[in-house]
Amino acid sequence: TLNAFAETRTGAESEAAGKWIPNTCQGCTTWCPIEIFVQNGRAVKVRGNQLSKANDGYCCVRGHLILQQIYDPDRIKTPMKRTNPKKGRKEDPKFVPISWDEAMDTIADKIMELRKNNETHKFLLMRGRYSHHNTIFYGHLPRMIGSPNNISHSSICAEVEKMGSYATEGFWGYRDYDLDNMKYLITWACDPISSNRQPPNSIRRLHKVLDGGTVAAIDPRMNNTAAKAHEWMPVKPGTDGAVAVAMAHYILVNGLWNKDFCGDFKDGRNQFRKGATVNEGDFDEKHTNGLVKWWNLELKDKDAAWAAREAGVDRAQIERIAKGFAEAAPNCAIWYGPYMHPRGSYAVMAIHSLNGLVGATDSEGGLVTGMGAPSTAYPSFAPYQDDIAKANAGQTKIDQRGYLEMPAMARANPGTGVVCNNVANAILDEDPYDIKVAIGYFNNFNFSGTEGARWDKAMAKVPFFVHCVPMFSEMTYFADIVLPSALHHSEDWALVSSKANCYGHLSIQQPVIERMFDVKGIETEVTWLLAEKLKDKGFSNMYDWLSKEYKDPETGKHPSNSLEFAITATKMRSQKAWDPAENKDYKGDRPNGWEDFRKKGIVNSPRFTFRQKWANGFPTETKKFEFYSETLKKGFETHAAKYNVSVDRVLELTNYAARGELAFVPHYESPEDVRHGSRREYPFDLIDMKSRLNREGRSANNSWYYSFKKCDPGDVNQEDVVQLNPDDARKLGISDGDMVRVTSTIGSLTVKARLWEGIRPGVVAKCFGQGHHAFGRIASKDFVKAEPRGANFNEIMPDDYDRITGSTARNGGFTGVKIEKV
Amino acid sequence: MAKYGMVIDLLKCTGCGACGLGCKTQNNTDDPSNGQTFNWADYCESYSGKFPNMKYTMYPTLCNHCTDAPCVSACPVNPKAMYKKDNGITMHNEDRCIGCRMCQRACPYSSNDINADAGAKYSVISFNAAGKETQAKYKDSSELFKGSTSGAELARKSGGTPPYKTEFSHPDYNPVRGANKVEKCIFCEHLVQSGHKPYCTQVCPSEARVFGDLDDPNSEASKLLKKHSSSAVSLKDNKGAMQKPDDGIKPNVIYIRSYAAR
Repeated sequence: TLNAFAETRTGAESEAAGKWIPNTCQGCTTWCPIEIFVQNGRAVKVRGNQLSKANDGYCCVRGHLILQQIYDPDRIKTPMKRTNPKKGRKEDPKFVPISWDEAMDTIADKIMELRKNNETHKFLLMRGRYSHHNTIFYGHLPRMIGSPNNISHSSICAEVEKMGSYATEGFWGYRDYDLDNMKYLITWACDPISSNRQPPNSIRRLHKVLDGGTVAAIDPRMNNTAAKAHEWMPVKPGTDGAVAVAMAHYILVNGLWNKDFCGDFKDGRNQFRKGATVNEGDFDEKHTNGLVKWWNLELKDKDAAWAAREAGVDRAQIERIAKGFAEAAPNCAIWYGPYMHPRGSYAVMAIHSLNGLVGATDSEGGLVTGMGAPSTAYPSFAPYQDDIAKANAGQTKIDQRGYLEMPAMARANPGTGVVCNNVANAILDEDPYDIKVAIGYFNNFNFSGTEGARWDKAMAKVPFFVHCVPMFSEMTYFADIVLPSALHHSEDWALVSSKANCYGHLSIQQPVIERMFDVKGIETEVTWLLAEKLKDKGFSNMYDWLSKEYKDPETGKHPSNSLEFAITATKMRSQKAWDPAENKDYKGDRPNGWEDFRKKGIVNSPRFTFRQKWANGFPTETKKFEFYSETLKKGFETHAAKYNVSVDRVLELTNYAARGELAFVPHYESPEDVRHGSRREYPFDLIDMKSRLNREGRSANNSWYYSFKKCDPGDVNQEDVVQLNPDDARKLGISDGDMVRVTSTIGSLTVKARLWEGIRPGVVAKCFGQGHHAFGRIASKDFVKAEPRGANFNEIMPDDYDRITGSTARNGGFTGVKIEKV
Repeated sequence: MAKYGMVIDLLKCTGCGACGLGCKTQNNTDDPSNGQTFNWADYCESYSGKFPNMKYTMYPTLCNHCTDAPCVSACPVNPKAMYKKDNGITMHNEDRCIGCRMCQRACPYSSNDINADAGAKYSVISFNAAGKETQAKYKDSSELFKGSTSGAELARKSGGTPPYKTEFSHPDYNPVRGANKVEKCIFCEHLVQSGHKPYCTQVCPSEARVFGDLDDPNSEASKLLKKHSSSAVSLKDNKGAMQKPDDGIKPNVIYIRSYAAR
C-alpha cells in the first residue's frame, strides 16, 4: 500500500494553539479542580487547575480518562422511550428516540397523576454523583412535588467512616491531612495514593513522609501505599478493631498518650497496667472525656499479644507501630478508609480514637476536619409549595431509616441517615408504601448496590422510571424514559466544593466544548423543563418558584429557558465567592467578578488554622474528644425510647456484640458472627478494593482503563481477575490464569484467578469496576446479548448493613466465599 | 551538543498511571492490537519474595534514548529513519520508515508481539501494520442501539480522529502516525523545543520524572544523578532485568532511590 503520509510537514516543532479551560473532575470523591486543553473546539488534554492549592495543578490518572468519556462511541445522544413494557435484567427495552418535549411531557403527566390521586409521596428521586445544584433537583424538586423521597447513594459509598470521627469528635465527614509536616502516617484499610481520598495530593506528598518519617499500612492486601511503606501489617479482614484497641492499650501502659490533650494522673504516676482497674478520680482529663472509663471497659486486658492472635499479625509489629506513632505525635495521623462492615462503626471509632489519644487531631502535621469554601444560599422554595406537597413531603421516607432495626444515625441522629440499598427491599415489600414514579440520575444502583438482583426485581416493579444518564447502564434496562445527561466535567454548568492539603475550594463546572448531542444538565435544565410542562398542565408552582426566585445577580434578568436557568443558578450559588461586594473580607482568593471566576475556575480558602477545637471545644455533647461517647449514647437512647425498648435490645437487633456501657466506647467486635457463610463451607474472606482507574463505576467503557489495569498491584491489563495467595491456590490445584468459580451464600461468579503474594492467605481480593453486561461495547463482553466482561462481585455480596449508620456492608471480609477451579 | 535523558525518582513514583495515560493524550497513540501496546510510556512491575515479605517495585518505562542505540544501527534505510539527533534524542522519521521492524527486533526494550513474548511487560516500539486502520474506534460507524452515537460520528462532529487528538507539528512525526510504520517516544521534542518538558514529566503528580541534559553537570537531572549515584540503575530489557546505567548500550533513562521504603 502506498504510504499515505509520504509527505512529512516541515516547520518548527511546537504544539498547536489551544486554551486551558477550568472545570472539576469527579472521578472519585476528591473532586479535583482541573483544566481541560481545547484545540479547535476539541477537548484534547487534562491537568489539575494550576491555581489549586489542594492538588498543586496535578490530577491523577482518572483525570486523563475524562477524554474517553466525552468521546465515548456509545454515548446516548437523544431522549428515548421504552416500547417493550416487560422489564428485566436483560429484557431489551426496545428504546426508540423521542424529542425532549415528548419525554418531559410524559414525565409531567405521571407527576400530575400522582398529584391528582394525592399520592405524591410515591415519587422517588435517586441521586448518585452530584454537584452543588443537587439542592435544586434532589433537595427542592421532590418537596415541590410533595415527596419526602430524595435518596442519595452515600450509604453504598463510605458513610461508616464518618461515624469514627463523629462519635469521638463530632465531625461527620472525610478528614484532611497535613502531609508536609507529618512524621508518622498510618494508612488503615485505605490506599490514599490510589483511590477516593486525595490521590493527587497523597501521590505528590507521600514521599515526604517516606523520606523524612515513617509510613505504616494496615490492610489484608498489599495495596499501593503498603507496597511503598516502611511497614505492612496484613491484618485478618474485620479484625482491625482488635489491633486498634491493643495499640491504645500499649500507648497508655507505656505513658505515651498526649498529656496536653488527654490530661494525666493527679500524682503523675501511670496507673495503666495490664488487668488493673483504674480509679476515674485519680485522672484529670483536659480536652477528652472518659479516658479511664474506656480503659476499664475495654482496654485494660487487650494487649498486643491478644490482638496478634485475634488479628493474625505479629505482636512486635503492633507495638512498634504504636510506639513510633505515639512518639511522632502530634505530627502523625491515621488515614482510614470507609470500613463498610456490619460492625464497622465500632472499628472506625477504635481507629479514630488513636488520633485523639496522641493529640494528632486538629494538629499541624496531623489530621484536621479541613476547610470549606464560600457559596451563596439557594433561594427558598417553601413559599411556592402547595398544601398537597406540604402534607405528603412529611410522610415516612421509603428507605425505612429509623425503623427499630435500622437506627441509620447520620451525625448520631437516629432516622436521619439514608439507607440507599434498602430502598430495593422497601419497594419489593411495599413498606412503608409502593413507589409509582421514580427518577434516577448519575447512578447505577443495580450494578453498584450489593446483591443487585434485588434492584432488578424492585426496578421491574416500579411502573414508571426515568433514568438520566450519558450511557445505557444496567439500571437503564428498567427505564421507561431515558434522558441523556450533559457531562458534568465538560458540558454542564455547576459548582463543586471540596478540600485537600489543608485548603478548601469552590470550583466551577462549565462547558469546555460545544455539546455534540441533544444532552442537558440534569440538576438544572431538567428541573426547568419539568416545571414548564407542569405549568402547561395546570401546576405552575414549580415554574413560579424557578422563574421568580432565580435571577442573574449581575443583570437582574430572570431566566427564560433551561440553559439560562443553569447559568443563573451557577452565578447565584457562587456569588459570595466572585462578587467583590461580597468577598471583600474573605481571607482566601477573591476573584473580581463572574468572568474572572470563570477564567480562574477556582476559589481557594485560606489554609486551615490548627488547634481551634483544642481551644474552643469540640462539637460533641461534652464539648470534648469523647472516648466515652455521650454523643453516640444520646442517639442510641433517643432511638430506643422511640420504640420503648432498651439500648441493649437495639444492639441485639442490629447485630452488635456490645451491651451496656461498652456500646458507648470504641471497642473491638469480632467479625466472625456477622460473617455470611460458615468458614467450613466458605473458607475465604472476600475483600473488595477500588482501582486507581475507577472513575467510581464509570471507566469501564474506556479502552485506556484496560491498557493500564496493572497499575493496580496484582491486577492484569485487559483482564478482570480475583487475587489469590499462591499457597491457597496450590492447595486447590489452581494455577495462575485458571478460570475459577467464586461462590458465596447468595451466588456464584466465574473469573480468572491471579496468584499474588501480596494477599494474605485465607483472603481473596477483587477490584470493583468490571463485570458490566451493559454500559457499552468495551465495558460488556457482548452488549446485545448482555454478556458481562469480567465479574461484578457486588452480585455475590449479601445485602447487609452497619445498622448504626445504615451503611451498606462491602468491606472487612463480611462475605465468605468458596473457590473452585472451573 | 546535548544528551537528553530522564532521571526517575522511584521513592516519589507511586506507579499511578498518569505518565502512561498522559503520554497517550499528548501523542494520540492507538489502542493495543495484535501484540502492539502503542504505549510509548508504560510500566514494568517487578516483585519478589513470599507473603508477607513481598517486595514490589513499579518502574515507569519509556524509550531509553540509548547512547549506542541498537535500533539506529539496525535501521536499513539510508538516510536512516531511526537516527540520533545531536541533542541525544533517538528520533524516528515517519516518512523514511519502511515498516521493516528491524528496530523493534533489535531493541531489548521492545517485543514484536508482547503477547507471544513470555515475561515481556512493555514494548517501547510499536508497529502500525500495513493496511491497518489507525484509530479504528473512531472510524467505526456502528451504533450500539438506536439513540446512541458512534466513533465515526464523534470524529465527524468534533473534527478530530481521534476526537481528542492533540495537534502538534514536528518534521519527523505526524500527530497520528500512519500504517506500515513503527512509532515510539520522541521525548516530546515538539514540546521541548518550545521550552516545555515532555508531557509524561509535566503530568507526574509527584514530580518523580526529571528530564534534562545528562552531559550538562548543572542540569537538574545531572545533579540528581550525582546525588543518588549509588542507587542509579537502568532497565536492561522489557522483562525487568536491571543494569548499571553506563553498561551495554547506555540507556539514558535512569532510576534512582527505591520504590519501596522497606
